[in-house]
Amino acid sequence: MTRTESAAADTASARTATRPAGYAVARIGGASFLVHRRAVAVAGLLTVLLAAAVVLYLCVGDSFVSPVQVIDVLLGRPSPDELVVGTLRLPRLVVGLLAGAAFGVAGALVQTVARNPLASPDVIGVTHGAGAATVAAMSFGLVGHTTLPYVSVAGGLGAGLLVYAFAWRRGLHASRFVLVGIGVSIALGSLTQLFLTKGDYLVAQQAKVWLTGSLNSRGYDQAAPLALVLLVAVPAVLWAAWAQRGASFDDDTAVALGIRLDRMRLGLTLIGVVLASVATGATGPVDFVALLAPQIARRLTRTAQIPLLSSALTGALVVVVADLLARRLFSPVELPVGVLTAAVGAPYLMWLIARTRSRSGGSTS
Amino acid sequence: MTRTTRPTRSRIAWLAGCAVLLALAVLLSLAVGSRQIAPTEVMRALLHGGTSNDAEVVRSLRVPRTVIGILAGAALAVAGTVMQGITRNPIAEPGILGVSQGASAGVVCAIAFCGVHTLTGYVWFAFAGAALACVAVYVVAAGGHRGASPVKLALSGAAMNAFLASVVSGIATTDAHALDEFRFWQVGSISGRGTDVIGEIWPFVLAGLLLAGLLAKGLDALALGDDAARGLGHDAARLRVLGAVGATVLTGAAVAAVGPIAFTGLAVPHIARALVGSAHRWVLPVAALLGPVMILLSDVIGRVVFPPSEVPVAVMTALLGVPFLIALVRRRTVVAS
Repeated sequence: MTRTESAAADTASARTATRPAGYAVARIGGASFLVHRRAVAVAGLLTVLLAAAVVLYLCVGDSFVSPVQVIDVLLGRPSPDELVVGTLRLPRLVVGLLAGAAFGVAGALVQTVARNPLASPDVIGVTHGAGAATVAAMSFGLVGHTTLPYVSVAGGLGAGLLVYAFAWRRGLHASRFVLVGIGVSIALGSLTQLFLTKGDYLVAQQAKVWLTGSLNSRGYDQAAPLALVLLVAVPAVLWAAWAQRGASFDDDTAVALGIRLDRMRLGLTLIGVVLASVATGATGPVDFVALLAPQIARRLTRTAQIPLLSSALTGALVVVVADLLARRLFSPVELPVGVLTAAVGAPYLMWLIARTRSRSGGSTS
Repeated sequence: MTRTTRPTRSRIAWLAGCAVLLALAVLLSLAVGSRQIAPTEVMRALLHGGTSNDAEVVRSLRVPRTVIGILAGAALAVAGTVMQGITRNPIAEPGILGVSQGASAGVVCAIAFCGVHTLTGYVWFAFAGAALACVAVYVVAAGGHRGASPVKLALSGAAMNAFLASVVSGIATTDAHALDEFRFWQVGSISGRGTDVIGEIWPFVLAGLLLAGLLAKGLDALALGDDAARGLGHDAARLRVLGAVGATVLTGAAVAAVGPIAFTGLAVPHIARALVGSAHRWVLPVAALLGPVMILLSDVIGRVVFPPSEVPVAVMTALLGVPFLIALVRRRTVVAS
């Protein structure tokens, strides 16, 4: 192997002097990186699939619009289908794409930190916290619609902290964390029911629709905060991922490499929780995307670590396809997209559990 | 599960104490509500009848509600005790394991697809749903090489709950007529259930309780491990099947009557064991007394917290039960096993 990659030498030589199998070297200007070949191929494939899904999503509906017309609208050319595609379907699609990507990244982060596929934001109470807070704010009429995303972030963070605090007992045990998360989720679900009975009938109706996780009548208002958070979070996470590659080793090795594990983990978890909460604020709890996407992505790339970019792409793909099916499956009745993701995600979770080899009290690593 | 021997006299005292507690809870359930009725008035209405408004409210609304609460509470608490016994798992419970949700999905399917609209009809669907969920959750959790650990059981129960909830809400969005019929029933509540419900479910509850009572000795033996149980002359597999049947019948009947109510089956058996030790011939009756206490008190609290609207009893039991679950999980034994 050549040893000319001097820019990456300080980290690379600490781990291994040679280039691992399956990796290629990418150079951008003076810097060079090790790139997992299969991961790049998978990301490319996912992008193509996602583009196909996007076009299909915009074509299919109560009236069919040909792909040529859709592409015309997307490119901003004048088209007779401007209204259907550009005004009705596109905003909804954008929310779905962004929320899916946010759920995917959030799941990837939390699962990486917890080293446990089961510890995804929707299992450990984050989405339920965001849901309960939002419904409370809606039912009691505390805040306007523009502040709802903040409320949902606060709820998600609060729930995450609560689970963390309750599960902490001379250290954090993965299965205690998950069990406490399930308990807190149930309690928050009940609180949500309580707020629903408390509120005005119309508001309760609205909140109920929101709670099933639906993209119906979602638009750019919901997409804007989501896009903003993703724009800040994803570069931060990518940088962190680049800086902390050593953290995938065992704790001792990582500490020896000079990585401040606790701070890194806390930061990554926080970003994950915020992403999941904002996405929940935009679409309602679309269950199990955060659990599914990173796992699918990792199985595709066959890397040891969960690939962030592919998780985001998979998340977006899952939500867009699920919403397409939710719109058309029982048309003219429209299912909430959350119903579909849960119907697929829950059996997958059960399959994960069934093949768990519980070495340390049920945690899979 | 820790203290096994206790003087019989103190156990009898606890049993009597629980009975007194139940009587108090019944009295509260009859007296408290949006219309406060004095206990003396309640007694008079029960014993001498009368046609005053208070007497009417007590007899036609609160008595059925209370009796249903007693039946459901006893059924769920004993179902939880049996489940904890046969799985040897401290957090087994109809709600957490998704069995209640299974029964509830069974009822919803009966209403939506099979055109069944009477309780006598859909109680069988509730049994079928509960049994399917029970088997599926246990099979999933018992996969892998260490068997069903608490966390795996709870997780597969949570997954089952999420799956069935999505099925139910899928049906709810596509079938407006069915939604109208089950929407009030679906949030577990003991209010607004008529006297006919009592007549239809008590045989099932009684049968389930008797079956559980017959299994008491076997459950004690199972607590020592499968090998020990075999040594004591019990067939572990047969015990588990019978126990699962009993728990399924109890859960199915309770859910068909009142909708899914979680956490009664979790908290009550633990409280019962703390009071009278781990012998099931004592735990089962105490649980059967304390289960109704928990349901009735939760219901009474639900009536008074947000007047004039009422909080469904399932919401209250969950809010009361979750701290209990967390305390249980923080104890080392649950996670270490």
